[in-house]
Amino acid sequence: MELLELEKVEKIYQQGEIEVPALRGVDLTISRGEFTSVFGPSGSGKTTLLNLIGALDKATRGKIYFDGEELGEQSKNELAMLRRKKIGFIFQSYNLIPVLTALENVEFALRIAGVKNGKVSRKKSRELLAEVGLEGMEDRRPNELSGGQKQRVAVARALVKEPSLVLADEPTANLDSETSQEVLEIMLDMNRHLETTFVFSTHDPLVMDYARRLLEIKDGRITQDKNGREPGEASRRLGPDYSEKADGQEKE
Amino acid sequence: MYLLRIAFRNLFRRWKRTLLIAGMLMLAVLVFLFMESFMMGIFDLSFNNIIDFETPHITVGRAEYFAEVEDDRERALEETFIPENDLLEEIRGLEGFTALTPVLDFSADFVAGRYDYPVLVRSVEPETFPEVFKNQDYLVAGEFVEPGDEGVVIGSQLARFFDLEAGDFYTLRFQDKQGSFNTLQGEVRGIVTVPHPEMNMNTVFVSREQAAAALGLEDESVSQLMIRMADRDQARERAQSLGGQLAGSGFEVRSYRDTSDFLTALEVFGYVEIYFILVLFLLVGSIGIISALVLAALERVEEIGMMKALGLKRSQIVRVFLVEAAGIGLLGGAAGVILGLIGVGFLTTLGINLDLIMDPEALGLPLAGRLYGSWNLSSFVVMFVFVVILAVVSSVIPAYWAASKNPVDAIHHR
Repeated sequence: MELLELEKVEKIYQQGEIEVPALRGVDLTISRGEFTSVFGPSGSGKTTLLNLIGALDKATRGKIYFDGEELGEQSKNELAMLRRKKIGFIFQSYNLIPVLTALENVEFALRIAGVKNGKVSRKKSRELLAEVGLEGMEDRRPNELSGGQKQRVAVARALVKEPSLVLADEPTANLDSETSQEVLEIMLDMNRHLETTFVFSTHDPLVMDYARRLLEIKDGRITQDKNGREPGEASRRLGPDYSEKADGQEKE
Repeated sequence: MYLLRIAFRNLFRRWKRTLLIAGMLMLAVLVFLFMESFMMGIFDLSFNNIIDFETPHITVGRAEYFAEVEDDRERALEETFIPENDLLEEIRGLEGFTALTPVLDFSADFVAGRYDYPVLVRSVEPETFPEVFKNQDYLVAGEFVEPGDEGVVIGSQLARFFDLEAGDFYTLRFQDKQGSFNTLQGEVRGIVTVPHPEMNMNTVFVSREQAAAALGLEDESVSQLMIRMADRDQARERAQSLGGQLAGSGFEVRSYRDTSDFLTALEVFGYVEIYFILVLFLLVGSIGIISALVLAALERVEEIGMMKALGLKRSQIVRVFLVEAAGIGLLGGAAGVILGLIGVGFLTTLGINLDLIMDPEALGLPLAGRLYGSWNLSSFVVMFVFVVILAVVSSVIPAYWAASKNPVDAIHHR
C-alpha cells in the first residue's frame, strides 16, 4: 500500500524577480516499509523533495498525498499535527536540543506526539535509546556525546513515536565510515522490525548501498529509479571503508 | 511541562547575558525602592517638622488673614480675632482632637547692636503651646517663654548671626495695629535649634500677653488657632469637615498640607523625578531583553526549525521565549526586591546624615540632621510584578519573530 504519492510536483523558489525551479514535475510513489535513498548532485532538488514529503513546505504545483490525504489542502496547524504523529526527521547536524539530556530529547518528541503519561514516555524512550546502543548515556547532554552518539539519539528521537515515515537528510555527512555503518544498520533494523518507511537524501555511497530503492535526481527531475536491491550487501562485504573503496572503483 | 523545562534551562545557557539583563532590572527595582524610601523619608520628615515646629495638623484663622499673608507676606493685625467658646468647643469636639493653642503672629525687625533682621514673631500661650508644638524640646540654651515674660526665644542661627547668648539684650521693632512703630525689648531668654533650618533664623517666640499689649490688641487676640490631632493621616479630612461646619462664619480651616503647598509641589516633583529615573532604567532593561531574545533566536535557529519539524506550533515556541523572558524578569525582580529590602532596611534603621549628601536648607526643605527612610511594602510587590510583566511584554515581538521562522529555512540555515 502506498504511503506517499506525488503527482507532477513542482517547486519554484522566488529569488527577487527570478524564479528558480527546484523540482520539475516529479511523479513518485513510495510504499510503506521502503528503505529508499535519493541521491544526486548538490542543488539537484533532493532536500526540496524531502521537505515537501515531510510536510515542512508546500509544492508550487502538483499534488502530494500522504496516507491518502492531500497535503496542499491542509493548514499549517494540520501539517504540524501530521509531523507530530506520523513523520520523524533526522538531520545532518543532529539538531538535538542542547539543554535537554539524551533521554529528554527522545522523550520530548514522544510528549509532543501526545503521550501524556510520563512513566510510559520515559520507559519507551529508554528502551529506544538502548536499542540504538546508548544504554547508560541517557542523562548525558548533547555536548557530552560524540557525533555518532548524537546521531543515534536523533534516530531514537525520530523513531520513538513510531512514525509512518522517517526522513533523513544527509544523516551520515558528519560521521566517520564506521559510525555511519553502525547508524545505518540500526535504521535498517528498525525498518525491518517496525516496518517504518525511510527516505534518505544523500551523497554518501554507503547510504546508497544500504538503500533497497535508489532514486537519482538531477535538475529537479527523477532520472533513475532502481528497486529491489539488497541493503548494505557491498558495504558489509567491503567493511567500513566501503565509501573510499567505492570512490576508488569509480575513479578507476 | 517540557516547554517550561527548556525555557528554564535556556535561562542559564548564556548565563552571563541573563545575569547582565537581570542585573539591569534588579538595578531599576533597587534604585526605585531606595529612592522612593529616601524620598518618602524626606517628605515624611519635612511634613513632620512642619507639623511639630511651624503649622500643626490644622490651623483656623480668618479667611482674610490667610489671603493677606499670602498676598504681601505681612501678618495682618486687623484680621486677628478673639476666639469664642462656641468655636473652641466645635474644635475640641473634632474626632481625633488632641490639643489646641492660640498663636498671634506678626512681622518685626530683630535688632541687636547695629544690625537688624526681619523675622516672624510668634506670640505664644506658654501653657498650651507645648501641647501642640515641640520647639521648647529643642532648647540649646536658657529657657522657653513663660507667661508674662518679656524675654524672647530665638533660633540658634539668628543667635549666631547677631552673636547673641541667653541673657543678652534684644529689640523687636514693628508696627502696631494702628500703624505706629513700637518696640519690645528684653533679654534673650532661650535659644533653640530645631530640625527646621529656616525657623532657626527667622522665627522668634514671645509671650502672647506681652505681644498683644505692644500691638495695641486685646489680651485674648489671636491670628490663628493651632490644632494638634492624634493622627496626621486624618488631618486633611478633619480640616475639611471643620471647614464645612464653619462655612459662612468668615473662618478658614487649613490642613498642614494646605499651609505647605511648596512642599506638596516639591513632593510631586520628587516622585516625577524618581519615576523618570525608573523609566530610564526599565527602558534599558527592556531593550536588553529584546536584544537578548533576538540573539537567542538567532543562535537557536536550527533548534526552532527542529521544534517545528517535531510538530510544535508557533504559539508553543512563543511560549518558550516568553517563559524565558519571564524568568529573567523574575530573577531581576527578586534580586532587586531582596537588595531593596536590605537597602531600605538600612535606610530606615541607620538613616543617612543629610549634611553629608545634600544641603536641605538650600533646597528649601524643612529638615536637618539624620534622615530615615520609610517603608512602602506595596512598592516591593508592585515593582516585582511590574518588572516580570515588562520582561514578558518586551519579549512578545522577538518571540513571535523567532517562532515565525520558516522551518525549512531554519533547519537548513547554514
